[in-house]
Amino acid sequence: MLISRRQFVKGSIAVVPAATLMPTFLVRAVAASVHEQQGSDAPMGNRVLVVVQMAGGNDGLNTIVPEDDAAYHDLRGELAVAPGDVLPIDGGAGFHPSLAPLKELWDEGALAVVEGVGYPEPSFSHFESMRIWQTADRDGRTYEGWLGRYLDGVAGEQTGDALHSLAVGSRMPRALFAREASVPLVKSVDRYQLQADPRGALNQAARTEALLQLYGASPGAVRFSALLDNTLQSAVRSSEAVQQAHAAYVPAVDYGDSGLAQGLRVLAEAIDAGLGVRVGHVKIGGFDTHAAQASEHPGLLAETAGAIRLFYRDLQAHGHAQDVVVVTWSEFGRRAVANASGGTDHGSAGPMFVAGGPVAGGLYGERPSLTDLVKDNLRFTTDFRQVYASVLEDWLGAPADVVLGGRYERLPLIKRGALAGG
Amino acid sequence: MSSHPQPHPLALAMSRRQFLAKAAALGVTVTAASAYLAVGAPTVSAGAPAGGRYPPATPFRTGRPAGEAAPKDAPAAPRALASEDDRVAHLLWRAGFGASAAELARFRGMGLQATIDHLVDFEGVDDSALEARLAEQEFDLEGRVNHIQRWQLQRMAYTERPLQEKMTLFWHGILTSSRKKTGAGPQTLQQNELFRSQGMGRYTDLLKAVSRDPAMMVYLDSRSNRKAAPNENYSRELMELFTLGIGHFSEEDVRESARAFTGWQLRRKREFRFNKRHHDFGEKTFLGQTGAFDGDDVVDIIMAQPAAADYICRRLWRFFAYDDPEPAVVARLSAIFRAHDTEIRPVVRAMLESDEFYSDRAVGAHVKSPVELAVGAVRALEVSTNFAAIARMTDKMGQALFVPPNVAGWPGGAAWINSSALLQRINFANAIAGARSNQLRFDPVGVLGGHAAGGSGALVDFLGDLLLGARLRPEQRAILAARLDGLPAASNNARLRSAAYLVLASPDFQLV
Repeated sequence: MLISRRQFVKGSIAVVPAATLMPTFLVRAVAASVHEQQGSDAPMGNRVLVVVQMAGGNDGLNTIVPEDDAAYHDLRGELAVAPGDVLPIDGGAGFHPSLAPLKELWDEGALAVVEGVGYPEPSFSHFESMRIWQTADRDGRTYEGWLGRYLDGVAGEQTGDALHSLAVGSRMPRALFAREASVPLVKSVDRYQLQADPRGALNQAARTEALLQLYGASPGAVRFSALLDNTLQSAVRSSEAVQQAHAAYVPAVDYGDSGLAQGLRVLAEAIDAGLGVRVGHVKIGGFDTHAAQASEHPGLLAETAGAIRLFYRDLQAHGHAQDVVVVTWSEFGRRAVANASGGTDHGSAGPMFVAGGPVAGGLYGERPSLTDLVKDNLRFTTDFRQVYASVLEDWLGAPADVVLGGRYERLPLIKRGALAGG
Repeated sequence: MSSHPQPHPLALAMSRRQFLAKAAALGVTVTAASAYLAVGAPTVSAGAPAGGRYPPATPFRTGRPAGEAAPKDAPAAPRALASEDDRVAHLLWRAGFGASAAELARFRGMGLQATIDHLVDFEGVDDSALEARLAEQEFDLEGRVNHIQRWQLQRMAYTERPLQEKMTLFWHGILTSSRKKTGAGPQTLQQNELFRSQGMGRYTDLLKAVSRDPAMMVYLDSRSNRKAAPNENYSRELMELFTLGIGHFSEEDVRESARAFTGWQLRRKREFRFNKRHHDFGEKTFLGQTGAFDGDDVVDIIMAQPAAADYICRRLWRFFAYDDPEPAVVARLSAIFRAHDTEIRPVVRAMLESDEFYSDRAVGAHVKSPVELAVGAVRALEVSTNFAAIARMTDKMGQALFVPPNVAGWPGGAAWINSSALLQRINFANAIAGARSNQLRFDPVGVLGGHAAGGSGALVDFLGDLLLGARLRPEQRAILAARLDGLPAASNNARLRSAAYLVLASPDFQLV
């Protein structure tokens, strides 16, 4: 005799005292927002962190270009950006010319640049270094990603949010691996739904219900059954939400056909629909420029910068400019010295961008020296976990030391106390 | 139409999630996290404060080092495969791609050992029907990726030598190359045929062949590896992903072995040639040895490392059996590998003959890849198809053959399961169960009709045996039977299609 799921649930809830339901992070987050009033005026529940992965190892030296440094031109030869082409930031360096859209945000004070970001004893393997960045664990042995650990903390299923997080792409980024939180992954909005059989014996609602029952029966009875159950629930719930958000949305910009821009559009739709997204993740690949870098890299920078600007403008037009912080990362920078194939090999430190209305624009960190190299590689000056800690604590109101498993000095990337304008 | 109102599925889902959260908050044992633990998450420490889900002081890293593949099994009920029939079914899914009812009966009649022999010693098995079927279709295997995908999927679905194709798939995930980079031409097929013909031979020979394989040489840039400008890409992955694993070599070893492979080039992107003008004949120091090594020497030195045997045996075990094999299992297989001069076939045979392969730890512990899922459904349900639609569907589920995501191949395991992929897997079940076209046809009455008369329970039992082997759980059986009993008046055909849909879309069919 089967007990129906509903009966099971009903019976169980009644005995649970309400006070035990609020997870640790949520309590702290709420307290922080009340007592410190940090950051912008966005209520804690509306705040979104969007992470943009630049996969393959972005060439930091040709991103924030140290144009006045003679060593740069020696090391890079023909790959060096011509001095007159750089979009100036300060006396010594400037944006690569393809980053003009980000320069626009910089001029508006909505962009922070953190220079020389890396970690000790850098790995030159894509896979290992990505794992380190995504797990925030130098040994790369932790299963969960740093965003997954955050979500496990706050995104208690009891919040009732349709979506606490959303990744756009073909594969789940390691950063969002979690113990409990099931992160929806959308590849294409059109396909993100269950298909019916118009000639079938069961209507789709009945079929979906049958599947939820099959997946939910005796959770944990066999390996992967809990994963499958959580994923199906998340899929059913998020596909309806994403479809509705998509149907209702009118973008204020033309996102074009850039995959990155289209991914950001999906996030904009979810944010505007108020689905409860706290963390979004999108990815652009192709930065592994071992050869013929001059013909590849500028286009990738232009696509990244253009997509972030479009997203920001669209959010502004929909009144969400103060709700979203965008952070970019790449698993490493590239070798300071160019190689013989017109490219650059795997390197170490590079810059990160932090963009959005709540961001205190400007330069952070320290520009790595080009004359004090380790085997042709830059010495990092800021640990990437400092940037993570800053956005976790000051933007998302989460206990960074818990999420990151250690204390990292924060950077004042998020405006404090001010009601940011426009 | 159903006469009584049904709660909206979402309502059920939400309330159950609430329950899980709350039960967990109370410390009630609900193993919602077990699946995540199963793929290598650190165990929640026993000292976690009661009443809190998040032990704040130690959010991760517990006593046990949490390796990438360190499964923590769910407390599964004992489900060892006691009967030989169940073992044969398990073997056919793991060493092949499942079997039709007729095939299953034939192999069960032969018994387990004879089935293993038949699978492993496949050279003697006549596969001319498959070759004839493929020859009838005019594939452009060089020019169109969709064609070679369909060709490969049909080989898996219709071959009499399933282990040969399973090994080809295994190597495609290890010594991988992407057609995205290698482009049109004969290279993809050439590499595929290399895996098919040498996939059970000496690994040393396969590595030397793959080091000269045009697709690989394009994919990992070794064709442009010159003395004046060494390219480390191939030499790094040769050690990191093909033979040793990270931690068993240094950056210096990467540079030195890249020098040994210099001058290995391609003529017109498709034919290996050694160009001595670009080869570095100098002395190299590699993994502790010094000499004027070339690429073959590098392979020999690597394969003499103890880590090499362990690495490939672990990869084989992960692919065929389960993640994170016991050290004793790896040691046993490694010894066989070394004793047979790096030959793969004896290792595979020992694996399929081992008790661990049929143990609780193995059964249902593997998430089917999209290709395994699709081919298995076609094979078991005798779907007739040219695989055009199915090749597209495996792509949507996350696996396009010959286009792996990167040099590490497909990550597999829990990584196959995310909301997008799961929706597509269920939509695949819909496409198969509802297949009524000439390009994709499922004949429910022909395949299942004989078992429809005995009521829903008998139908579910038959489908369960065919698609899940011994893994049909009692509560799943009860739910499936009740759903079929509750169907509104429907034709036999429609009822059988519904049954196939629910079993193909069920959680247990996602596993094997």
